[in-house]
Amino acid sequence: MVFTEKIIDPRELRHVEGKIELYWIYTSGEAGDYFFKKLRDEGKFTAAKCKKCGYIFFPPRIYCEFDFSETEYVEVSGEGCVVAYAVAYYDKNGEKLEKPEIYALIEMDGTNGRIIHLLGEVEPEDVCIGMKVKPVLKPKEEREGKITDILYFKPA
Amino acid sequence: MAVGKKDISCPPYVKGREIELEDLKEKKVTYVEDHPDIRYSFTAGQAISKFLKGLKEGKILGVKCNKCGRVMVPPREFCELCFKPINEWVELKDTGVVETFSISYIDPDARPLEEPEIVAVIAIDGASPHMGILHKLGEVDPEKVYIGMRVKAVWKPEEEREGAITDIKYWKPIEG
Repeated sequence: MVFTEKIIDPRELRHVEGKIELYWIYTSGEAGDYFFKKLRDEGKFTAAKCKKCGYIFFPPRIYCEFDFSETEYVEVSGEGCVVAYAVAYYDKNGEKLEKPEIYALIEMDGTNGRIIHLLGEVEPEDVCIGMKVKPVLKPKEEREGKITDILYFKPA
Repeated sequence: MAVGKKDISCPPYVKGREIELEDLKEKKVTYVEDHPDIRYSFTAGQAISKFLKGLKEGKILGVKCNKCGRVMVPPREFCELCFKPINEWVELKDTGVVETFSISYIDPDARPLEEPEIVAVIAIDGASPHMGILHKLGEVDPEKVYIGMRVKAVWKPEEEREGAITDIKYWKPIEG
């Protein structure tokens, strides 16, 4: 024993309780706002095309990061193909999931951009790289202008 | 054209204005929000717990390393010079010497204080030299504080003490 009189009763050990107040709002920005409103109101996907080099950004950007010129919004189908994926068997708290979730990096057709989202209506063993997928959106009345307005992508 | 200058156009400036609270309330712009619930419990440990219990009884407790002989306050479980567990407690006086001090005109939120606070490290009498605790000085003008000033603890009444460092209200100069 280190101390001749060691505290044995844990209630005698002092502790301080605290709480860290954190509250934040993250706005989508000019191009993100356009994207989410279009998704919410019309269920359509938007990309942004550089007027100079023609690079198509997805998610859309207000200017091209290669030559700093303006972009214009272009409508895309929302379909794409899986370029990478991971199967999660546990949730973020380490609890076992009833049904595994599949997270995929999806290359958007007609753009140079990619999006990370869930895959659905498919078994993990049936997913393959290069698989064509299409989005499944929430019903219009439930959409709130968030990325979760897209429920998942399913095989096309 | 200057050397190295590229023929690029200026990034387009976005027409618009700053986002106001109304825009968020009326959902004019899309956003995500979160309010993470971050809680913690910080335990004082064996040595400080006993030190705080001592404060409740109006005593300042220190520890003595029986290898190097240093008397340390605040107490600790191991001597950081000898890497040796400590097993002797000593009761110290509630008097000391101002080791260093600072005058604060603002509170932790940077709001001006009505009365400046004097924060000082007090080397406790009976402990080894330069062993001290950080506390406040009172009943003294900021201009009159000096390093080496003799001070004495002003305790809260016994019934108000709760086993916290604030059981000592402040340290006041000893006359003479």
